[in-house]
Amino acid sequence: MNLGNNLDILTITFYGSAILLILIGLYAALVKRSLIKIVIGLSIIDSGVHLLLVSIGYLQGGTAPIFSPAVIDKNPVMVDPVPQALVLTAIVIGFAVTAVALALVIRLYRHHKTVNIDEIKNLKW
Amino acid sequence: MKKVIVLLLLAVVGYYLVDVFSQISFGENRYEGQNVRDFYLDKSKNDLQVSNSVTAIVVNFRGFDTLGEVTVLFLAATALGSILYRRREDAHGGVVLFSASRIVRAGSHLLFAPILLLGAYVFIHGHLSPGGGFQGGTIIATGFLLMLLAYHDYKVSHGVLSWVESLAGLTFVFAGLGGLILGKTFLENFLPVGTINYLFSGGIIPIIYIAVGFKVGAELTGVLYTLLNEKEYKKQ
Amino acid sequence: MVGTPVQLIAIPLLAAFLMPLLGKAWKELVRITPGVVLVYLLYLSVNLLSYTIDNGRIVEMIAGWSPPWGINLVFSPFSGFLATLMLFMGLIVWIYSYRFKKIEDYDDYEPTIKYYLLLMMLITASVGIVLTGDIFNLFVFIEILGITAYGLTAFYRGRDGAEAAFKYLFIGSFSSVLLLLAIMIIYSQLGTLNMADIAQKAGELKPVYKISALVLFLVALGIEAEMFPLNGWAPDAYSQAPAPVGAAFAGVVVKAGLYTIIRLIYTLFDVGGTYEYLIVMGMVTMVIAEFAAISQNRLKRMLAYSSIGQMGLVLVAFGIGKEEGVFAALFLMFNHAIIKGLLFLSGSYLVYHSKDKYLSELNGIGKIMPLTSFLFALAAFAIVGFPPFAGFWSKLAVLTAAADSGMLLIVGLILSVSVIEVVYYLRVVNRIYFVKRETDVEIQKPTPQAMLSMLVLGAIIIAVGFYPDVITGILHKASAALLDKTTYINEVLSQTIN
Repeated sequence: MNLGNNLDILTITFYGSAILLILIGLYAALVKRSLIKIVIGLSIIDSGVHLLLVSIGYLQGGTAPIFSPAVIDKNPVMVDPVPQALVLTAIVIGFAVTAVALALVIRLYRHHKTVNIDEIKNLKW
Repeated sequence: MKKVIVLLLLAVVGYYLVDVFSQISFGENRYEGQNVRDFYLDKSKNDLQVSNSVTAIVVNFRGFDTLGEVTVLFLAATALGSILYRRREDAHGGVVLFSASRIVRAGSHLLFAPILLLGAYVFIHGHLSPGGGFQGGTIIATGFLLMLLAYHDYKVSHGVLSWVESLAGLTFVFAGLGGLILGKTFLENFLPVGTINYLFSGGIIPIIYIAVGFKVGAELTGVLYTLLNEKEYKKQ
Repeated sequence: MVGTPVQLIAIPLLAAFLMPLLGKAWKELVRITPGVVLVYLLYLSVNLLSYTIDNGRIVEMIAGWSPPWGINLVFSPFSGFLATLMLFMGLIVWIYSYRFKKIEDYDDYEPTIKYYLLLMMLITASVGIVLTGDIFNLFVFIEILGITAYGLTAFYRGRDGAEAAFKYLFIGSFSSVLLLLAIMIIYSQLGTLNMADIAQKAGELKPVYKISALVLFLVALGIEAEMFPLNGWAPDAYSQAPAPVGAAFAGVVVKAGLYTIIRLIYTLFDVGGTYEYLIVMGMVTMVIAEFAAISQNRLKRMLAYSSIGQMGLVLVAFGIGKEEGVFAALFLMFNHAIIKGLLFLSGSYLVYHSKDKYLSELNGIGKIMPLTSFLFALAAFAIVGFPPFAGFWSKLAVLTAAADSGMLLIVGLILSVSVIEVVYYLRVVNRIYFVKRETDVEIQKPTPQAMLSMLVLGAIIIAVGFYPDVITGILHKASAALLDKTTYINEVLSQTIN
């Protein structure tokens, strides 16, 4: 692993916590038996990925990419607005998928009266 | 046993993620040549006269993505309705919700209007300050959520929501087609841009974002309403 | 030129937002609108295709910014051909769905409008995937495709659609996450999201980034394209979804996933060993899927596994590469869409009222539903490659390409797998015609619209079988367009706003 000169506190905070979120969500999605917890796990994975994506855009000492009156003539260094825009879209899409997932869970519950994944396995090979 | 396998898998995944991403230097300017970031920042300030460059990217430079995103929301609401559809005679009996305590009920009345106002402010000023259509729409939906949680029989009219959704979506598409009709490309800005940091700047950008704000607010409210009105089957 | 490529996306979106309002005015409009839209789009697409075959790629800029600053759509003989095929299959599926009894057996029209909306957007999303020139735009369209697919899989109330849809969604979420990670890696190093720009700058990527991004992409898209071992969701989704939707999955959705893999490998990245990877994965997918198909005793699952196997064959053909391999692969894709579509559409009426769709319920149905059975048998013969039907030419093309590249092992494997296919398809045809009918499951006669759509597909199978030159000209142009990476980059990046 090449951690060399990049292993400072900020790197650990942002990348590390994002990756930690992804791993926690992955654990929940793969191990938990309740459908609701699985959906929550997927949602946590999404949060981790979004955090990671936004962190990519950071520039040392940069400020928010908004040309407010206070800042417009001073030409400061601005962080990359593109990852922010991408994450905006990704968050909304992640929400939409979570909503559909929860609707499916509700319908499975109506039918089987349980959200335990072991009991809802009609479709075999 | 299964947990052990999963933990091993997580260790492998985690290792690779850390390996690849730790090499992406944090906070450094990684591009030598031309890149989209500088271009967007420059054009947003000078050509589009929009001070929130993230908004400029979302609505103008990558407006096609936003159109797709709005479609995703629309389709998710549609799919939700399709998945949870029940014939009228099948759905009766007790509702799963109950009214909240007195404090919440009283407070919700007080807070409802300011929340809506905040949401409207956020999406109208999307091009001037952090925020925009999606953020503002979500705030509006939380206002409705508050009312839905406080009163178990709070009704929201599906018809009105459906009209708002469709009209807002149509506004977005027409704004895009307007560019095509006037001989330019789809979603190109065809209104005068004004001066930066004024409310009327950025051409069609505020118009699109306001439409998005309405649409997102209506859609999220509809989704929440559908999910919260899940009724129990009556026991035979 | 009669229009621009962006209309292929903007007009269905317009119709989608209008449909709830139109439904309030007159309910029949809800059924008619997707059809009208698809007819117009097909007309537009054919026009654009004939233009681009003569004049080179159509690159359209969006929002008035030239690439790589803005998003652009690329309508080339390759992508345009696929888009036209998808729109055509979409139209066929719409015709078949019109007043399809199971979908419209409701008291009010609410489920109907949702079905037609989701169906129209399924096709539009696939077309968007094929036409876009920007990787994040690709991600957005893939998500649109996913959501419509989940909704349509769970459409029927009485079956296990919700479970199949949940499995699909679960795996699809992983696909999205991996896609985002891959896009992130590329953007962080190259500072651009435009495909042509990435193709140009790909050489500057350090190997660790190139490889990790490629791996992430391939896994993510392998899920969508039903590569082994990521296709666990597919048999459930195909068998639980309504029949026209199953045909759409096989004919449209999986092509979009495959297109993306091919675009990545042929145009964007240039990593050694990817072609061999395609061949290996394709063979593995094909072999496992065909063995799975032969052991199925339920019709739709058998067709689903067979579909996965065919996609494996297409991957092998793309892996063989060069003009011959790409030509064969495109021919296979075209034939598979038409033939598999017909199999799903006709097969659905053969087992209409059966709950589990066991093959044994097909016994002797040839006498009761002669035309539908004939079409099913026709498609079955076509797909295993019997002359003089369409499937023969594409199989021949693949075998020739493999032989010319000296990959005789591949030739052998493909032939053996074809034998397996013959076994399980002829088994079904045998049941249909030569075994006595045992069950007394109710029969449903196809509606005239369904009959029409099936007959059109059958006619194409016969036509292409006897006159393959109808298609091969376009396919040659399409394969040339795909293989020509430098022209792609130049044509896109030289666009300026006038």
